[in-house]
Amino acid sequence: MILPKLKLKSQLAIFNAFSKALIITLLLLIIPWFVSKISIKETDEVLIQKLDQVIELVDSLGMESFIDMDAEFQAFGSYNILKEEYISIEQVNKDTTLNEIQFSQRIIEEELVDYRVLSYSIEENENNYVIEIGKSISTIYRFEQNLKRLAFIFLIIIISLTFIFDLSFIQYLLLPFEKIVKKLKSTNHPSSFNYEPVKTSTSDFAYLDDTIHSLMRKIETAFNDERDYISNVSHELLTPVSIIQSKLDNILHEGELPEKDMIKIFESKKTLRRLTNLVRTLLMMSRIENEEYILTEKVDINKTLKNVIEEIEDKMQAKELQSIIELSPLNFITDGNENLLFTLFYNFINNAIRYTEIGHIKIESYLENNSFTIKISDTGIGIQKEKIPDIFSRFKNSNETKDSYGLGLALSKKICDYHKINVQVISEPTKGSIFILRFP
Amino acid sequence: MRILIVEDEKSLSSEIKHFLEKEEYNCDLAYTGTEASELIAVNPYDFILLDIGLPDYNGLDLIKEAKEYNSEAYFIVITARGELEDKIKGFDLGADDYLPKPFSLLELLSRIQAITRRKFGHQSSIINFGDFALDTTKKHLQYSDKNIDLTKKEYKLLSYLVLNKNRVLDRLQLTEHIWGDFFEDDFDSNYIDVHIKNIRKKLSSFDDSNWIKTVRGIGYKFEI
Repeated sequence: MILPKLKLKSQLAIFNAFSKALIITLLLLIIPWFVSKISIKETDEVLIQKLDQVIELVDSLGMESFIDMDAEFQAFGSYNILKEEYISIEQVNKDTTLNEIQFSQRIIEEELVDYRVLSYSIEENENNYVIEIGKSISTIYRFEQNLKRLAFIFLIIIISLTFIFDLSFIQYLLLPFEKIVKKLKSTNHPSSFNYEPVKTSTSDFAYLDDTIHSLMRKIETAFNDERDYISNVSHELLTPVSIIQSKLDNILHEGELPEKDMIKIFESKKTLRRLTNLVRTLLMMSRIENEEYILTEKVDINKTLKNVIEEIEDKMQAKELQSIIELSPLNFITDGNENLLFTLFYNFINNAIRYTEIGHIKIESYLENNSFTIKISDTGIGIQKEKIPDIFSRFKNSNETKDSYGLGLALSKKICDYHKINVQVISEPTKGSIFILRFP
Repeated sequence: MRILIVEDEKSLSSEIKHFLEKEEYNCDLAYTGTEASELIAVNPYDFILLDIGLPDYNGLDLIKEAKEYNSEAYFIVITARGELEDKIKGFDLGADDYLPKPFSLLELLSRIQAITRRKFGHQSSIINFGDFALDTTKKHLQYSDKNIDLTKKEYKLLSYLVLNKNRVLDRLQLTEHIWGDFFEDDFDSNYIDVHIKNIRKKLSSFDDSNWIKTVRGIGYKFEI
């Protein structure tokens, strides 16, 4: 059986209530039994006392004052009006000896009454008599019933009071736990973690808080190490590139080499630039992975898109591609990193231009199902269906003829994930591709 | 103009020095922060090129320090680390420009010239060629008082060529100047050529001379 997941405080309260109910049920069963035992014992003692009094009376007054010796039926009986008690003396045959207390029913004035009856035999004037003293037990029953009801009410009150106390106390006890959870939830980067200890009188929570703090410090150190590492790798790789580039720049500027050598130098510069871009893109991806970019800039998406289009328009013109731009009149402003989003749109549009030789590039933005959507469609070479899942992987290029390094789209995907933007790719070879970006 | 180059890579700083000296700048070299600090204390520099990734010094502290001795110097910060916060901090502390490694020496020169024009108030911001006048403050081109309509990029491209007249500018340098150090991986595409074609068309409607020469396989050269 799968139990539904419950909050600790509910579980504790339920368990408490359950255990109390169990105890109370037991008490409800035991107390009346116990009480009736006691009241029966008391009744019995009263009966014995009364017997002693009766025997005393018989001794002092003589049996004759109770039983008419001449009567055919040698017996005496007396009961009070409410039939709560009765006393009877009866002659029995000589061998009978009785000394017992038991429950018994008697018919008195055509009414069946439950009694606790003490029967005791005595010898008097060489005759054997049995004295019976009865006490109605309906009073005992009634008392028992009352007691049960009272106990029940009392216990219900107790259980509800303690339940409420328990619940609020547990809630109070668990307050630090909730604070710890809140603290963790509000942390989206280890550097923004609040290291102030949560106030608690519970050592377990203090221990938990402490453990989380030391874990966070470890994560923070790891993040910082990673950032330093990226920064150092960046320096180590880009400085030599910078030296080579400066040397090549100087050679070109002196212009003393023959034309064919100059062209070779320029080609080397291009290769160097390729290397630079590769390193920068990889570093940018690492930085995104390490969450070094802040996501709290207010970015106007249409405006950013317009800037990208302005920046890239000449490329479309150079290829004589028609550009169709249909932007939403709505100003969608979202939290994000403007530089990254610019890079993202640029990469997608640039890609569309790169793989389109004839036709148009269409850039749309609109609101769909409450999410702001950007759609970039082209009439280019398209992507084969089986290759679509691979296009966002590093160094996998769907088109072997163009020398891209398969990083542009991988970077774009990283930026999308970082901003929680959903990307959808629809493509048909020779017809074109559609990239749809949906903002959360 | 006196420039201090603070860069721990000797090979790089000597290339920068070599290039800038050809442009008539006097250059001093400092390989460490301490050396730089000493030089700044005694010499009045116009420009300080500062690599903030120094082995012995936090480059940004050097700016603070320099500002105390030598408030006249303009700082161009060079970095290969590309730390985002440092970029912002650099500007806050008074860096006047920022160049990520690797940069082209011509771009460095053009930044120095831009700051010079901006800060020193260049005597004449108008450059004449033929009957054309390029105004670098108003950012427009005129032909005998007649405005020539250039797009932003066309203006940027033309002014870069004009400011570096009689020098071959390769396509990479032009791209870097116009698009910045943006991740651009198709240099072989001809969009620079398209812009040049458009500029030539606009100029040729006023004047027959071929101002912008094509340097085969490399780029362009503006000849006066």
